Amino acid sequence: MERLTIPATERSPEVDFDFAGGRLSIRGESYPEDAAALFGPLFAALDRFLAASPGPAIRFDFELIYFNSSSAKALMNMFQMLEKAAEGGRAVTVNWIFAPEDETMREFGEDFSEDLSHVRFHLVATPPDGG
Amino acid sequence: MLAQTYRSFKRDLDAKGIIFSFSGYMSEGILYSLGDAMRQKMALEDTDLNTIKKVFSVFIEQAQNIIRYSAEKVSASSVELSSGMVTIGTEQGRFFIVCANVVLDDDVARLRQRLELLRGMGRDEIKAYYKEQLREAPDEKSRGATIGLIEIARRASEPIEFDFDAIDGGKSFFVLKVCI
Repeated sequence: MERLTIPATERSPEVDFDFAGGRLSIRGESYPEDAAALFGPLFAALDRFLAASPGPAIRFDFELIYFNSSSAKALMNMFQMLEKAAEGGRAVTVNWIFAPEDETMREFGEDFSEDLSHVRFHLVATPPDGG
Repeated sequence: MLAQTYRSFKRDLDAKGIIFSFSGYMSEGILYSLGDAMRQKMALEDTDLNTIKKVFSVFIEQAQNIIRYSAEKVSASSVELSSGMVTIGTEQGRFFIVCANVVLDDDVARLRQRLELLRGMGRDEIKAYYKEQLREAPDEKSRGATIGLIEIARRASEPIEFDFDAIDGGKSFFVLKVCI
């Protein structure tokens, strides 16, 4: 599958789905006017990628600074898709990356991880400069 | 006279602890600019990161609610503007965010019911309710507002306050106040 990249805008995150390499990431902020318009194509691409069997192992990095409630719903949807694929035997690792002092993003990571039993979910507290 | 009028207007705002207040037609572009200015101002004043994030989140959810649900809208081909008001200030050392917009009387009962439910919930209940709503598949349009209101209640440090004031023509003025 062709790589899907979408540059960040003021209110939407940078997306890089490198399907061939099994490396996917979403970074930045997400409070778009129309969450369905942003996430709809991502769901569709992810769905096709996950349907391929046997597919490559997946590493999905989420490095979000802020997202609104409709984006939270979209993220939950994405996690449900990943969990289903992992349950079906796909190796899925999620890195939930956040600034160490950011309690909101830590709590969101904890909340999302509660629903995942087949996805390997890592909470990664990383200072902004990677130091 | 002109200066006196507006000085008095500004003094009233200052006396209420208002940092900034926007009244008029709101768009996603205005929301971005106001939110950005607000975050920069708070960061310059060394406001705690988690407080900045809570204030920002409540501001975004409230402003997007106005954009989506205000009963006073004007739209052209590609732009849709919704009328409302967003105010941010401090009182007793805490930030507060107030939003107001006109809603249809037909929507008041349902909105009031949702807000009363949230007002009566404790922190853990709100968190559990948020998760429950996250898991639900997106369905009818009206459900979109639910998760936004829960997010607002979740960031508040005390129960949210709200009020409705009936105006003519089957409409009401709706106000929601949240303390962080």
